[in-house]
Amino acid sequence: MFLGLILLYLFASSIAAFGMKKSGYSFSLITTFVVMMLFIFLFIRDFSSGYSGGFLSYQSYLIPGAPGVRFSMAVSGFTFPLIIASTVVFLAAVGISNRERTTPSFYGLILFAEFGMVSLLVSRNFLFFYVFWEVVLVPVYFLISKFGTGNAARISLKFFVYTQAGSIFMLLSIFALYTYHSNLTGISTLSISLLMAPSFVSSLTAFEKGFILFGFLLSFLVKMPSFPVHAWFPDSYEKSPYSVTIVLTGALSLMGGYGFFGILFPLWPILKGGVSDLLIALGIISLVYFALSAMFQVNLKRMMAYASAAAMGFVTLSFGAGINLMGGLTSIPSASNAVLALSGGMFQMLAHSFIVVLIFSSLFIIVLRTGRETVMELGGIHRDAPRLSSLFLIGLLASLGLPGLAGFIGEFSVVVGTYGYIGALIFIVIFGMLITAAYHIWAAQRSLYGPYNETIGKIEDVSPFQFSILLTLAIFLVVLGLFPNMFFSLFTTYIGGLL
Amino acid sequence: MYTSPSVWNVTGASSLQHYYPLFVLAIAGFVILFLGTLRNSRRVFASITFGALILAALMIASDYNAGIIVPAYRINSFTTFFAILFIISGLIITYPALKSIRKKGEVFYALLLFVTVGMLIAAFSYNLIVIFVAFEAVSIGTYLMTGFSRSRRALESSVKYYFVGVLSTSFIIFGLAYYFFYFGTFNLVGSSALQANSTAGLVSLAFLVAGFGFKMALFPMHQWALDTYDGAENSVSAFLSTGSKLVSFVIILKLFLVGFSSIHQYVFYFFLIISIASMTYANIAALSQKKVKRILAYSSVAQAGYLILALVVVSFTTSATTISYAVAAAMYYSLVYLFMKSGSFLAVDVAGKDDATLEDLSGLGKRSPTTAASFSILLLALAGVPLTGGFLAKFYLFLSVIQGNLWWLAVIAVINSTISVFYYLRIMVYMYARPPKENDTFVLSYKMKVPVYITAAITLALGLWYPVFNWILTLSGGLFW
Repeated sequence: MFLGLILLYLFASSIAAFGMKKSGYSFSLITTFVVMMLFIFLFIRDFSSGYSGGFLSYQSYLIPGAPGVRFSMAVSGFTFPLIIASTVVFLAAVGISNRERTTPSFYGLILFAEFGMVSLLVSRNFLFFYVFWEVVLVPVYFLISKFGTGNAARISLKFFVYTQAGSIFMLLSIFALYTYHSNLTGISTLSISLLMAPSFVSSLTAFEKGFILFGFLLSFLVKMPSFPVHAWFPDSYEKSPYSVTIVLTGALSLMGGYGFFGILFPLWPILKGGVSDLLIALGIISLVYFALSAMFQVNLKRMMAYASAAAMGFVTLSFGAGINLMGGLTSIPSASNAVLALSGGMFQMLAHSFIVVLIFSSLFIIVLRTGRETVMELGGIHRDAPRLSSLFLIGLLASLGLPGLAGFIGEFSVVVGTYGYIGALIFIVIFGMLITAAYHIWAAQRSLYGPYNETIGKIEDVSPFQFSILLTLAIFLVVLGLFPNMFFSLFTTYIGGLL
Repeated sequence: MYTSPSVWNVTGASSLQHYYPLFVLAIAGFVILFLGTLRNSRRVFASITFGALILAALMIASDYNAGIIVPAYRINSFTTFFAILFIISGLIITYPALKSIRKKGEVFYALLLFVTVGMLIAAFSYNLIVIFVAFEAVSIGTYLMTGFSRSRRALESSVKYYFVGVLSTSFIIFGLAYYFFYFGTFNLVGSSALQANSTAGLVSLAFLVAGFGFKMALFPMHQWALDTYDGAENSVSAFLSTGSKLVSFVIILKLFLVGFSSIHQYVFYFFLIISIASMTYANIAALSQKKVKRILAYSSVAQAGYLILALVVVSFTTSATTISYAVAAAMYYSLVYLFMKSGSFLAVDVAGKDDATLEDLSGLGKRSPTTAASFSILLLALAGVPLTGGFLAKFYLFLSVIQGNLWWLAVIAVINSTISVFYYLRIMVYMYARPPKENDTFVLSYKMKVPVYITAAITLALGLWYPVFNWILTLSGGLFW
């Protein structure tokens, strides 16, 4: 009941926020904060006593008169951390929204996207999974087109069409699963757990399997964003307002990763081989290609956008390699490399969400103070704003994978884990990591340190309130880097429980 | 050979009550014409029309299981469903039409009622001669309605519509002749072939589908629709693209599933090509359009292609469950389509001028956020985005395509649906992202806005209220007896 009430509360708040004029900001801030706290409370309540794999069911409402459709909610040790991460992302998105430029509908749309996002992560029925998948898309489309800069109409259209093309193919895959399941077993169901059973899917023909996997993979890769279907992201990330960039990088890319680990993962015996090799290739290409692209950016926001996409390349890589490392169908993966790679990928997603929140929030404040976004025009702002630039630096260091910070754990586990399968290709990955480190350091060095760019004029440091909040996040990144087992063990148990 | 005079046998006076809805509408039409000779108060005409339509709808709804009245006239759950849809398509435009119909309002509203009578008979009848006469009544009425406007463009579109309509009539008559040659009867139910060779039957089916397909604006027969929908008054376009189109669809459904049930598997490719061509051509052509109504007209052609998908499935599969599922999906699509399409045509009224371009809608999001939001809901529904009825309509339709094992067709339909997102969103982009023009011509009176609100609300409600489809699934069985 509790979870359902939270969702209902979020939905009602988003509707209410559409009608608010002045108080929209504070209302949404309180709402997102309360929702975050509620989820943390729920997490502690249900997971502190130990998690033994599998799904923790909450409610399940049968939709009257619609066979096979039931709004069932369940969370696992994997999805719950993601839910918490996305509530933090949305809180930050509301927190840094530029109050002068936004109209009431802005907050309504943000809250509506959060509602869709959280509902997506708890849904265990394909109909609702698909519906909420799209529900996230629509408000974000409006946020980009209405509040974006530059050619916002074109950019948002590109975003919408890319993701819509991906998701509508996923819809076909869902239909295919549904039809085959009812043909084979006589049971019409849209339950994710039943349809994503390897014993059922492996009884299909090669063509049918391919058809099903194609839709899911396309949809998830678009959201990641991954290499061949990424053309929408650089502009969307850069030209959106900062709040929306945070939502896009922190929350929407989680959807792609959630699709892999939360939806497709049980099918690993089928994915093993060709499909996972493809994913490994795409992951490595994305990682290196986006890192190289980022190196040539002078606009900090665009650079960080590419960096975020490159970080998601690790997730694709880890998923592909981890599956290929799995043992037989029934045994717990023989090589612990598989578990390491997979949990590393999940941890990378989680850490990435927190990191982009810190990076884009502090970058937003920098841009607000100085009015500049490119590396060249900034310079030496550490002199006037030491606290602000330190926060930004922590974000950058976490993002490049400095040991002791959250980003390291994921990347390290992925590299160590996948080495067992990809062998010498690991050098390409390391090369990508080197480039990542290079441009992160370069950006920090040029914009934060070095001689002060006098044309900026005197700037103020971050306000104590904002500082305390962002500092909490920075400390959290350190804690996550030092005590990763807080979530890492959950991920390991989750993988074990699915076998 | 021809032994079916019982068609005309109305047995007993008691069965007359089943025709009362038709009488109500026709009498109301004549009353309006009579009142028109006394004074010209359009509001009164509209109210009488509205009342008569509501009354007829209630009477039809309460009489849904009357069964076979005569062999040519069957009142069952299937026909009742569509009859009510036709009445709704008239109801939606009754008040919005007030704005554009300045002179001879009595003629317009009487025509609307007479056309509705024709549509109801076409829905209830299972005899091709009766269907043909009813269909002609609909056609002739709509030719006149199309011409009702101050502008010459409406006149032009009416003439175009008329000439194409005459052509389609001749196709139908030709097909009818072959139908009789092949079956020896004009009845759809219980017809059995006289000829060993099915060629005559197939010729008949092709010509009948082509003839009725003109009204449905399927691909090779669609060219009139673009000019007519574009040139007519918005309310008339809304009526043409919903009510009049769905009449043809119902007739084709009945022809296909009842009349030609023995040979319809031979025309799989015929329908397949029509369906794919309608979707693909219209969706691609709509991308480069500048005028809002032309975009909607193309989208209407594409939606006709989606509707026909159900028939493709039926002609391909042999499983009875899949067939009834496909029919139900088509019925549900018709239901949602009725609201989303007529609502979006009526929303163009807000632009306040004939021939509105996309530019004329720019800044609507600022000038009237609620109207823009409602119009957006309708457009998103047409594009098939979840939480709107359009999504569920596509959902069930594509599901039935996959149940019929037509993978690649589902892929084509899905790609089409993605292409269509472009032009629907372009309208939204203009409404939200562009600033209002200095001299915008928006007409934001309640008369313009309320129909858009209502249709948008219903579209949204249909998307959230899942059990509707199951209810329709139980209705679709009625078609087969």
